Amino acid sequence: MEFQDRRTIRLRVNGRDVERDVEARRLLADFLREDLGLVATRLGCEHGVCGACTVLVDGASVRSCLLLAVQADGAEVGTLEGLAEGGTMHPLQQAFWDHHALQCGFCTSGFLMTACDLLASNPDPGEDEIRHGLSGNLCRCTGYANIVDAVAAAAKAMR
Amino acid sequence: MSAGATAKILGARVRRVEDPRVLLGEARYVDDVPLRGVLSVAFLRSSYARARIASIDGSAARSMPGVTGVWTAEDLAGSLAPLRVEHAQAAGGGPFRTCEWPVLASGTVRFVGEAVAAVVADDRYLAEDAVERIDFDFDPLEAVADMEAALAPGAPLVHDEWGDNVFQRVAMSNGDVAGAFRGAAVVVAERFATGRHLALPIETRGCVASFERGSGELTFWSSTQMPHVLRSELSRALALPESRVRVIAPDVGGGFGLKAHVFPEEILVGWLALRLGRPVKWIEDRREHLAASMHAKHEIVRGELAAARDGTILAIRASILCDVGAYTEYPWPTFEPNVTAGAMTGPYRVPAFAYEATSIATNKASLGAYRGVGQPIGVLATERLIDLAAAKLGLDPADCRRRNMIRGDEHPYRTVLGTEIESGSHVECLDAALERIGYAGFRSEQAKAREAGRYVGIGIASYVEVTAPGSAVWQSMGPAVGGWESATVRLELDGNATVLLGVNSQGQGHATTFAQAAAETLGLRLADVRVVQGDTAITPRGWVAGGSRCAVACGGAVLSASGRLRDRLLAAASRLSELPTGALEIQGGIVRRAADGGEVVPVRELARAMALGRAGDDGPLEETARYEPPPLTHSNATHVVTVEVDVETGQVKCLRYVVAEDCGTMMNPLVVDGQIQGGVAQGIGAALYEELVYDENGQLLTGTLMDYLPPTSSDVPRVEIIHFETPSPYTLGGFKGMGEGGAIGPPGAIANAVADALAPFGARPTEIPLTPERVLALVDRARSMREGGE
Amino acid sequence: MKPGRFAYACPRTLDEALALAANGEAKCLAGGQSLMPMLNLRLARVEALIDLNRVPELARLERRDGILQVGATVRHRALEESPIARELQPLVPRAAREIGHLAIRNRGTIGGSLAHADPAAEWPLVAALLDAEVTLASAGGARKLPARDFFLGPLTTAASPSEIVTAITFPAAAAGTRFAFHKLCRRPGDFAIVAVAAAIRLDANGRCVAASLAVGGAHDVPLRARAAEGILTGSGGEIDAIRSAADAAARDCEPGSDVHGSAAFRRRMVTVLAARAIREASAPAA
Repeated sequence: MEFQDRRTIRLRVNGRDVERDVEARRLLADFLREDLGLVATRLGCEHGVCGACTVLVDGASVRSCLLLAVQADGAEVGTLEGLAEGGTMHPLQQAFWDHHALQCGFCTSGFLMTACDLLASNPDPGEDEIRHGLSGNLCRCTGYANIVDAVAAAAKAMR
Repeated sequence: MSAGATAKILGARVRRVEDPRVLLGEARYVDDVPLRGVLSVAFLRSSYARARIASIDGSAARSMPGVTGVWTAEDLAGSLAPLRVEHAQAAGGGPFRTCEWPVLASGTVRFVGEAVAAVVADDRYLAEDAVERIDFDFDPLEAVADMEAALAPGAPLVHDEWGDNVFQRVAMSNGDVAGAFRGAAVVVAERFATGRHLALPIETRGCVASFERGSGELTFWSSTQMPHVLRSELSRALALPESRVRVIAPDVGGGFGLKAHVFPEEILVGWLALRLGRPVKWIEDRREHLAASMHAKHEIVRGELAAARDGTILAIRASILCDVGAYTEYPWPTFEPNVTAGAMTGPYRVPAFAYEATSIATNKASLGAYRGVGQPIGVLATERLIDLAAAKLGLDPADCRRRNMIRGDEHPYRTVLGTEIESGSHVECLDAALERIGYAGFRSEQAKAREAGRYVGIGIASYVEVTAPGSAVWQSMGPAVGGWESATVRLELDGNATVLLGVNSQGQGHATTFAQAAAETLGLRLADVRVVQGDTAITPRGWVAGGSRCAVACGGAVLSASGRLRDRLLAAASRLSELPTGALEIQGGIVRRAADGGEVVPVRELARAMALGRAGDDGPLEETARYEPPPLTHSNATHVVTVEVDVETGQVKCLRYVVAEDCGTMMNPLVVDGQIQGGVAQGIGAALYEELVYDENGQLLTGTLMDYLPPTSSDVPRVEIIHFETPSPYTLGGFKGMGEGGAIGPPGAIANAVADALAPFGARPTEIPLTPERVLALVDRARSMREGGE
Repeated sequence: MKPGRFAYACPRTLDEALALAANGEAKCLAGGQSLMPMLNLRLARVEALIDLNRVPELARLERRDGILQVGATVRHRALEESPIARELQPLVPRAAREIGHLAIRNRGTIGGSLAHADPAAEWPLVAALLDAEVTLASAGGARKLPARDFFLGPLTTAASPSEIVTAITFPAAAAGTRFAFHKLCRRPGDFAIVAVAAAIRLDANGRCVAASLAVGGAHDVPLRARAAEGILTGSGGEIDAIRSAADAAARDCEPGSDVHGSAAFRRRMVTVLAARAIREASAPAA
């Protein structure tokens, strides 16, 4: 076992196998955006506060600015690009549209990924639970109320 | 009403047409611009508030693999001039003193975060590596970080050549102010202060520049609120013809005023692309954003209000200080404190008003536009003063407001500052908001809560939002900007329409609301109208998505252009059908007989006929209109909030929040509601959480989002919204601006609610954000004054 | 904000990890929720990172000899949802829920938090309150340190550069012990300005037979308020006892100042939160 500056990683991203050689320091967010072109994962703070870069790693929502690409070796990674089935929106996407839960859209991917995780573990959350679950994602446009409504509506649609 | 009439499109609560592509991950922001071989910029920024630059040596950095180059002010000399604002004359005062803002600091640094050197490298990782290898030597100088200290004789000078630290001092007095104060039954006075705030869009600033040597054309992508203005400024700074500069604002991840500026970094990135012949990108990181983008709203207001025994306001007097920071925002001069003064008379009959507004230079990052510019603290001051006066007079604060409010039949009302408020529903909004929150029953709830040791309170803030300044008003405040907007409406050969806007969206929903306006006017279905924005090569000239002006100014342009095109369609249909134009209308994409709805010709066929020269109309199938709005357009609102204060910890929690507002005719209530809820969230941030803190040496102590605290989903209550629609008698469509209003009310409403909750102690909130520690200090001070026998 | 260069290794066994750590020049990466921001901001610089996330020995959460043994890379969310933790030491899931936000709890680990030793963080406070033991291992062997000996100062622990935090053990809660966890922060999920945790056991007559009180965010290490515990033990929950215990806790603290609160404010908050925590933990069971 030795330290390495670069490594080859193999992972599944949105259901597709990917193999790449990456520098050890490369952030997962940059790997997804720059190396795979999956730009719906946004960088808003790069120090783990705003939540815009949230993705699913083995089903759990994580901040991709605080994870190295090499750490995702062998993992199943989900981004917004993998949420819809073909052109059909996921119930969360549909609910965000129906409830005007986005304005500028920059934080939206992160909210959707967080909501996926939230609803997977709690299919019937109350308003306080939704607010608590989303509190690690900053939105500067909406004031959150419509996002909370959208997640509640999606939960209902998914039950 | 014809048989073919369909539901109205303009004014309908329809889902936004721009959302699906965002939700499917297809939105493209500036960092997503797909360009091969793009180089990345990182800046060395000053860690001193004020220092002489003794030396900078980029040679070690320059020799690193992957590094294209390192540039300092020395390298720019002679080819890239410092920025300097032109046109800086404000009403009622001397000229705004402008300073040179060097693109990279030259000789002296004036705030922590000021760019000193730029590195270009193959990617941002390498660029940041190289920044760490730049050798530099700064001689620190004494800094001035406090606006009041900056006014003291002998204070360190931000700009040596000035001799003091004053950008501008404006004084104005209308009516018999001194007489009113002499004859008043009650005079109340207080010193109010805001924190230094930040708009904090979730997308930071950023730009990408690509220069073609063969054509001499620069393409410049920027996360901006004003692509056309940016284009003019790039052209000027880089000495390129405007015709060879194309600015594209792709999807923009929020702006709120912060991106309504031209930044030194943008000029430099354009210059680097020209010089290198390769595309160059700068995406601001969050630390740069906090330290060196555009701060906002940092003011101290000393306000006094004189009232008669029945609560009638006799006069208001204010002394306003504004901490502008080191440099003038570009390309406008800062007019923040003047806007504060303008907001202080609100929806009230104020017969006499005097103010002095001073804009002050300090060793901090510059102050610029952010939602509500100057208005929130002006409203905070007046609304607190009214509550203080009401308390002294033993009046109910709501009654005291109602007594002074401009009534509907008094419009158009000319204020003491000479502004005409065209129409409004001040009393109606106040009453509706109070009724919704249950004002009448609140006092008994409050009494019960106090018995149980809980401190709840209710606070009101009523205001008039100044929106959509016309050209003359902008220019009287200083900025060299027009108040008009333009739009092109183009008929396609399949009967669809394309609407090209001079303004671009940062999330406000332009692609929906302006499509609604065009579809309604043209008689097309919403789905048949597409909005194009944010590209200077294809859109007509516009100014800025700011100043709550898009609905009014751009909306007027869209209505006007659509109307002209509709008239041409009807004339062409008339020629084809030999029916008079007055007998025709367009509904759902079909020209019909107005009388019975019978189909005459689909717009699709009409468009082809016009294009083929068979309908007697040989003009281009489009209309462009430029719309100049009235000098000012005013929305109005009342915010009422209930809070609970933990008197042991000082924590404040908003319980309910009601907004009753009137922005004239609404284009889409869904979008209006979204703007209000979002604006209130930012206002709550200002009132309770957010503050950029500097120490006495000008060091920024809130350099990350661990320290600068925007509210989260746990902190913002659902806003209950009530609409009134009093159309503007002067604007096309009856629209009034409303984008900033939500953020204007919360500081005043929440401060009043906290005061009400703490009334048993006699605590008087004066400073926002009302942090737990500040709230406890208020309680302590009130207690000690009582014990001291005030 | 991209991290500087470093080398990386991802050991699959504890022995591999300890061998990599042996020369003391590498830094361990657990959940990364504190270390990665520091690296991105370039406030921390490392030559080499040892990624502990794939060492199975570190990821165990188990009952061993009646005590709760938690591997260093067990994540906050696992502790929040763990039935074993709930049964053996209910304060553990209670405190886990207070940490940051969902995505942080998904990734952040208890060992990482302890090794980071932020005096305002939840786990150092809980470890201090519950007299937890931290297991440190190096290529030369393992040792156990009680929490009071592990935390030496802000972001400073007794671990040597070649040692890895491998586990933490919490004694099972004595029957009848009641807990309280009070945290003052600007927004839910933020680091505490001040936090106070209490564990109190009453006898059948309502007299306190065991009291523990710990304070976070108001001292350079998570602080056990021993004087307050002495005042409470043997008391009957009288208002005066609670008040003087809370005051004693505040007196023991030497808080610092930052933008979220001055030293004086923090000290005052210790009094307030300590009184609240004591009251809650000594209230009769519902």
